[in-house]
Amino acid sequence: MSKILLSAFNSGKHFLLNSKILSENNKVINGINLIQIRTHLPLRIRYPFWFLQKERATYYENLTKKNREFLQDVIEETFGPAITLHGIPTHDVKSPLLSQPFVRGKWNIKSQRCGLIGRKIGIYPMWTKTGERIVTTLIQIVDNHVIKYIPPEEFDPIRKPYNNIGSKKKLGCLLVGAESTDPQKFTKEYCGLFFKQGLMPKNKLGRFLISPEAVIQPGTPLYVNHFRVGQYVDVRGQTIQRGFQGVMKRWGFHGMPATHGVTKTHRRPGCIGMGRDKSVQPGKKMPGHVGYRYRMARGLKVLRINTKYNVMYVTGRAIPGDTGSIVYIYDTNVTHKLLNHHNPPVFPTFYPEDLEEPLPEDQFTPELFNFSDPSIMYEVPVAPKKKK
Amino acid sequence: MARLLCVKFRNNLRNLIRLPPSKDFNSCKTEMRYGYTIERMARLREERVGMADMHASISSLFSSITADGGRPRRALKTLPVFSNLSVKRLIELLFGVSASGYSSQKQSIQASVGIRFSSQNDIESTVKQGTVISSDIRFKYPEFLPHPYMKWRNSIREKLERSDMLKRRSNIVIPEFYVGSILAVTSSNVHAVTRTTKFVGICIRRQGSGLNSSFLLRNVVDNQGVEILYELYDPKIQKIDVLRLEKRLDNDLMYLRDAEPQYSTFPFDMEPEYLSKEEEVPINPIKVKLKPRPWRKRYELDDYKGIEPFDHLLSWRVIRRKPRALKHKRPVQYDLMWHYRNTIPEEEQREIYTEVCSELQKQEIRGQKIKRKSEFVSPEKAT
Repeated sequence: MSKILLSAFNSGKHFLLNSKILSENNKVINGINLIQIRTHLPLRIRYPFWFLQKERATYYENLTKKNREFLQDVIEETFGPAITLHGIPTHDVKSPLLSQPFVRGKWNIKSQRCGLIGRKIGIYPMWTKTGERIVTTLIQIVDNHVIKYIPPEEFDPIRKPYNNIGSKKKLGCLLVGAESTDPQKFTKEYCGLFFKQGLMPKNKLGRFLISPEAVIQPGTPLYVNHFRVGQYVDVRGQTIQRGFQGVMKRWGFHGMPATHGVTKTHRRPGCIGMGRDKSVQPGKKMPGHVGYRYRMARGLKVLRINTKYNVMYVTGRAIPGDTGSIVYIYDTNVTHKLLNHHNPPVFPTFYPEDLEEPLPEDQFTPELFNFSDPSIMYEVPVAPKKKK
Repeated sequence: MARLLCVKFRNNLRNLIRLPPSKDFNSCKTEMRYGYTIERMARLREERVGMADMHASISSLFSSITADGGRPRRALKTLPVFSNLSVKRLIELLFGVSASGYSSQKQSIQASVGIRFSSQNDIESTVKQGTVISSDIRFKYPEFLPHPYMKWRNSIREKLERSDMLKRRSNIVIPEFYVGSILAVTSSNVHAVTRTTKFVGICIRRQGSGLNSSFLLRNVVDNQGVEILYELYDPKIQKIDVLRLEKRLDNDLMYLRDAEPQYSTFPFDMEPEYLSKEEEVPINPIKVKLKPRPWRKRYELDDYKGIEPFDHLLSWRVIRRKPRALKHKRPVQYDLMWHYRNTIPEEEQREIYTEVCSELQKQEIRGQKIKRKSEFVSPEKAT
C-alpha cells in the first residue's frame, strides 16, 4: 500500500495511513487504520510540581458578616492567632515536625546556602565614619518559611546545562515561601503545598539551589540574620517596566539634530543596514520593549541589619525593581567577595533558639556611622617641628 | 451627578445652619466672593457662633453654584485651597457626608493615645497631656513628612527613617529655621587646615524629606557669590546657629542669584539676634532689586512677592510672549487632586507628628539650655 499523508485532524500532526501494520496505538476511523507519527517533536517542558494554578476565581458568595467572622475563626484555629511579626501581619504558626529534625551540616568553602525572599521598601542615605555618603537600599525579609526540600537525585530542573547533560547531580533544591496569606484567596491544590507542612499558604514562592549539607528542615522560619553584617550578597529582581521604547532610551543613541533643516527625524536610529544583499544584520539595536525582566545586582554589601523589622540595608540604589517589589537574595558569586574561612556564614541558617541573649536591634558594620554617635571630627595634624 | 450633589449640599447646609427658605441668594452674590473659606465655614458650623456672618457666606457660595447650572466646580474655583487638605475632609466639609464618622474617629484617636483635641479645631491641638502640637509644626519640622509620591512610600521605612533622624537630633541641636533665615554652619572638613569650616549665609532653599533633606546657604564673599548645600542630617555638621530667625515673602529665594549682591551679603562675624519664644517669627517684607536680564529663570511668569516690579527690565518681546506662556501654565491652585497627590493628608501628618513630638520637645528644651549656657559670661574681677 502506498503511504498517504493526511494532515487531517490536528494541525502540526500528520497521520500515516497503513492498513497492514497493527499495533496498540492504531486508531480505526471509517475502516482505516491510522498510526500517528510526529514530524518534529515539540519541546517538552515538565514544569515542577509547585507550578500550580494559584488564583481562584472570585465571585460573590453572599456571605454574611457572621459567616465571614466564622471563617476567620476557623483560620485562626487551624493556624494560630493573628499577630504582627517584624512589622508584618501574619499568624502565629507552630508547624509540627513531620520527621526527625535534620542533622545540621558543616560549612565548607564549596557549599551553597539557601537564599531569602525580600521586599524592597525604600532608599535612604547612610554615612561612614570617615564622612562618606552611601546610599543604601532597604530590603525587608517578609515572613519566610522553608516549604520543601528536594534532594539532588530527585531534583529535575527545567533547564539543564547544555554542555554536559550527563553530569552528576550535585545540587538539591529548597522551596521557600514568603508572606502568609488568607487561604480563601488561593486554589485547593496550591494550598495543599503548604498544608502538608502545617503552614499557611504563601503569596510568593522561591526556589534555591543548595548543596545537600545546607539543608534546612521544612517548616523552619528564615530571618535576616541568615546573612551577616559585612557580607556580600546578590539581589535578583524584576526591573521596572518601561514599555515599548525608542532607540534613544533603549540603547542610548544620540538621535538626530534638532535644527539645521532636519525634519521628522529627531529621535530615530538613522541607517540600520548597508546596501546589496545583507540588509539588516541580526542583533541590530532597534526600538523595543524595555524593562520587566529578571536582572541581578551583584556584590552588594550588607551594611546594617535591623532585627526588629527584619530589614537589611544594602549598598547601592540600583537594585532591580520598584519600591515594594519582590527580590531574591543570595550569597554572592563575585570572586573576590566570596565567603571564606575567616568569615564563615551562619550555617545552614540562623536559629533564634540557639541564642542565649537576644540580638541588638541594630547591627552595624564597623566602618558605618551610627546616628546615635556624636558628630564626626577629624584630627588636626600636628605640625612637624623645625630642626635648628 | 453634579446636580444631585449640589442638591445634597444645599439640603445639608439648610439642615445645619437653618437657612431661611425664602432668602434671595442673588442679592448676596456680589458682597461675598473670596472672603470665607470652606475651613472657616466648617469652624463656624462647629462652634455654632457667628450665625449672621455665616448666612452671607453660605448664600453666596450657594448662589455661585446655582448660577452655573448646578456645577459645584465653579464654586470650588472661587475658594482658596489648603495645602494640607485631605479629600475625606473636603468631602465632609462640602457635603457633610461622613461628618459623624470623622468625629467618631477623633474620639477613637483620643482614646488610644490619650490625645485631646481642643474644641477650637485645627488651630491648636493638645497632645499627650502637657505637650502641645501647634498647627505650624509642619513648617517647623518639614522634613519629618515623607515624600508624597505614593509609589515610594512605605510605613516601615518611614518609621526607621524617623527613628534615625531623632537619634541624630539627640546629638546635635538642629534649630528651627526657615527660608530667609541667616545661619552659621560649622562642619568638619578634611581639606581645611583646622579641619573645620564655618560658613555664614542666607538660606535660600530647603528641600528633600527624611534623611535626604538639605538646605542651601548663599553669601557673597569678595564680590563672588558662594553657595553651599548642606545636608541636614550629615554627621559632619558640628553646629548650626541661627543668627537671624525670620521668614521672607517667598518660600524660594533662588532669585537672589539674579539680584544685586547687597541682598545676599552677610558678614561672617555677625552677631546672633535672639527672639523670645513667645514671639512669632517675623516676616521680612524686603523686596529685592533684580539685575538686568539675562536671568536664570523667567521670573515674570511666576508671581514672586519679594521682587520689586521689574517690567522696565523686560524687553517688548518678553512682554509679548508673557500671556501666551501663562496660558499654557497648569492652574494648579484649583486642582484639588493635584494638591492631594502632592501633599501628605492631614490625618497622616497628625499621626507622624504625634509619634515624634514628645521627643522633639525634649530636644527643644535641651537646645534652649545649651543656648543659655553659651550666652552666660562669667563676670571678671575688678582690678
